Amino acid sequence: MLKWMAIGLGVLVVAVYVALSIMAGGPKDALQMVRFALPHMHRGNLHVGDHAPDVTLVSLDGGSFQLRDHLQGKPLVLVFGSFT
Amino acid sequence: MKLYQDYKDHADFLTIYIREAHPTDEWRMKSNEKDKDDVCYVQPKTLEQRVAIANDFTKRFKYGLPFGVDEMSNAANDAYAAWPERLYIIDENGRITYKGGNGPFKYDPKEVRAWLAQKFGEVKHEDNTKTAMVRPEAMETVSKTP
Repeated sequence: MLKWMAIGLGVLVVAVYVALSIMAGGPKDALQMVRFALPHMHRGNLHVGDHAPDVTLVSLDGGSFQLRDHLQGKPLVLVFGSFT
Repeated sequence: MKLYQDYKDHADFLTIYIREAHPTDEWRMKSNEKDKDDVCYVQPKTLEQRVAIANDFTKRFKYGLPFGVDEMSNAANDAYAAWPERLYIIDENGRITYKGGNGPFKYDPKEVRAWLAQKFGEVKHEDNTKTAMVRPEAMETVSKTP
């Protein structure tokens, strides 16, 4: 019984690793994805209808401003991302 | 950028620069390497480093949208679960009216275009780009928005 459970678990681990490798673009990328990406990827607690949290941001010249400063009676599209 | 050009008279746009997705000291991407796209940066450890990379980005792509950088506490990233990339629309009352999926696979600017088109009308281009449908769970319908 235990033997079959171990085999089943092994097959599952291999299947998950293969799936992650396909998603990440390679076996080495799969490990990197697990280590560096998965801890940061989550759905978060915000839902449609919630008040948008206000946060402090830094401008490209080093000054700071609040996100709410950009709410000026029109819809506001937020684009989150990075260069890499 | 096309989306911004099409709707900047009706909606405001703000790009928020967050922690790097594929820095060279974490999960580096082959496509970022010097002989390809040349996007090789380590994960910034200081605000100055993050702002410097953000400046590189805006200069390289002549990026004209309003821009803000997340502080090193990653407050914006954490509040909006933004990493590695995500889109939101906040309505005139300060409420979230569209929450896009996490990138890269669920990041879809066409959904933002569809929302803006539904509210302000479609902007047609010479290539007859069609407006995409928005996933119902990602947004309120315009008719429900007060």
